[in-house]
Amino acid sequence: MLANIWLIGPAVVAIVILMVIPLSMMAWISIQARSYGGGVHWGELTGDAWLRFVFERNLDDSLSWSFNYLSIILRSFWLSALTTVISLIVGFPTAFFMATRPLRWRTLLVFMVTLPFWTNLLVRNYAWILILRDHGTINGLLMSLGVIDRPLPLLHNEFAVAVGLVYSFLPFMVLPIYSSLEKIDLRLVEAAFDLYSGRWRALRHVILPLAKPGIIAGCILVFIPALGSYVTPELLGGGKTLMIGNLIGHQFGAARNWPFGAALGLFLLALVLIAMTAYALRTRRSGGTQ
Amino acid sequence: MPEPGAEATRPSKNAIELRNVGKSFGAGANAFFALKDVSANIGENEFFTLLGPSGCGKTTLLRCIAGFEEPTRGEILLYDQDIASLPPYRRPVNTVFQSYALFPHMTVGENVGFGLQMLNRPRDEIASTVNEMLRLVQMEELRDRRTSEISGGQQQRVALARALAPKPKVLLLDEPLSALDLKLRKEMQVELKRLQTETGITFIFVTHDQEEALTMSDRVAVMNKGDILQIGSPREIYNQPKHRFVADFIGDINFLDAIVTECGVTCQAEIVDVGMVEFLREGEIAVGQHITLAIRPERITLSAQARHPCRIENIVYHGTDTIYHLRLPNDDRMLARSQNSEGHAPAWQTGDDIGWAAAPDALAVIADNPS
Repeated sequence: MLANIWLIGPAVVAIVILMVIPLSMMAWISIQARSYGGGVHWGELTGDAWLRFVFERNLDDSLSWSFNYLSIILRSFWLSALTTVISLIVGFPTAFFMATRPLRWRTLLVFMVTLPFWTNLLVRNYAWILILRDHGTINGLLMSLGVIDRPLPLLHNEFAVAVGLVYSFLPFMVLPIYSSLEKIDLRLVEAAFDLYSGRWRALRHVILPLAKPGIIAGCILVFIPALGSYVTPELLGGGKTLMIGNLIGHQFGAARNWPFGAALGLFLLALVLIAMTAYALRTRRSGGTQ
Repeated sequence: MPEPGAEATRPSKNAIELRNVGKSFGAGANAFFALKDVSANIGENEFFTLLGPSGCGKTTLLRCIAGFEEPTRGEILLYDQDIASLPPYRRPVNTVFQSYALFPHMTVGENVGFGLQMLNRPRDEIASTVNEMLRLVQMEELRDRRTSEISGGQQQRVALARALAPKPKVLLLDEPLSALDLKLRKEMQVELKRLQTETGITFIFVTHDQEEALTMSDRVAVMNKGDILQIGSPREIYNQPKHRFVADFIGDINFLDAIVTECGVTCQAEIVDVGMVEFLREGEIAVGQHITLAIRPERITLSAQARHPCRIENIVYHGTDTIYHLRLPNDDRMLARSQNSEGHAPAWQTGDDIGWAAAPDALAVIADNPS
């Protein structure tokens, strides 16, 4: 076995080049002093970037509390959690509907769910701008019907970002739930009916527990990319509703603060890893529900 | 059609009454009639079997009683109450599914307790009933196992315990033994009969296995193409089949076409080129009528001196008995079975000309014409 150890060489090389080196660079950059023209002063070590999460440096070099960045991070969590919950509420019934159709319909429905992916993410978000803006589809329709006389503030706020995120990530919720629901033997539902459980209790006691792996996978697949999303808050949030992704982009761009950008990137990565590890440990301890 | 076999002994009280139950799928010219016009009374504490080939409607009928299908017409009465429109979770009737349908995310004990949990029974009552049921099916020590960790036979027992735990008024069993191997199946046949006697619950058992039906049931209903052809005790079904299909479906049988020549208390009929046979009168029979008589192979007596001649075409040894393939003078074939008793084997060989005879009560008159 040891003689063939070189077979893992390509994987090791790929991991080192694509993960270990870039991540180490990020970690290293995050503890360098910033250069105001962009980039860093190499070798000048400082914890400034990490302090920026909750402090701001005054002109006299003293530190004072500042929660501007923390509020963006919290908003990211809030919006991602909201996106996940709405996707679940919308996605579960959708997946259930799909999984209970005759086989020839299911293939078509799965195709339709994945259809938005054929269009570029930017185009899809611009489409939402057209729908949500002051004289867009919704406001225009409501005003011409006389329901409202001034446009509803639908664009450039958290609502718009949430709508865009749900729209973008809904398929990631629907597909894993669909695949776990599809595997459920419908005779189990009959057995539940036979044993005196009505529709809701059959859903709660039989279908939901059996669909749990799909629901968890769907939540992870929606929450994590939503947390790091960039395009949607940029376009639909109108620069006012920033999320971590925009903040990181901003630090490497206009703000020219690479160390802080690197620190934010690592922070996001660490949060995701902690969440995933906690989940993995939990499922292993409970013996897995598969 | 009058209900055949109504004279069979059965309890006076009806657990289930089926009145002209019909079920069709689809509509118009494409409609498929899974059940045409089924009527039957199933007595309290009875072990009642629906027997028939696949596609005969027996499972559809069971699903109508369980509530998974709604009959397109007719009434289903459970202790005189019409349940045809009630959903399955409002019927005090439980099912043992062919695939068992155990909940894979629950333990054995949780599966058995599920029905009681859904009925909102107190926790301690559920626990004690679960233990009682598991003891009944001899599965106590596996209570905390997952259902994926036990064998097919054990799953079968859990499915039984789960369906019995809520103490249903009627237990429905949909070919529950078909997935088991032969030895286990025989064991479970005995076990099922014991459970039925011990619990005193009415069992409605669906099977396509005629032996299973004959060994366990108090009464059997033979079904074909959405109709019940005959209802009767296993003995009646076996010895006095009223239909060619019933006779043919259950075991081997010989059909003889004959013309009635005389009819008194017993009747005489002539089988062309074979001779006269005597049989017991059954229903309306007129002299000169063409009838079909059925006789089981084991009811045929063979001897060198017997009345009707025949020629042995083949002899097949089966251990407990020997099957003789016979050719009659009218060129019909006939099967005869004789038990092998020690030191008593006739030294006949293929090609020998011997004779056969049949007692009058061995011949059953088949009502319908051969199709």
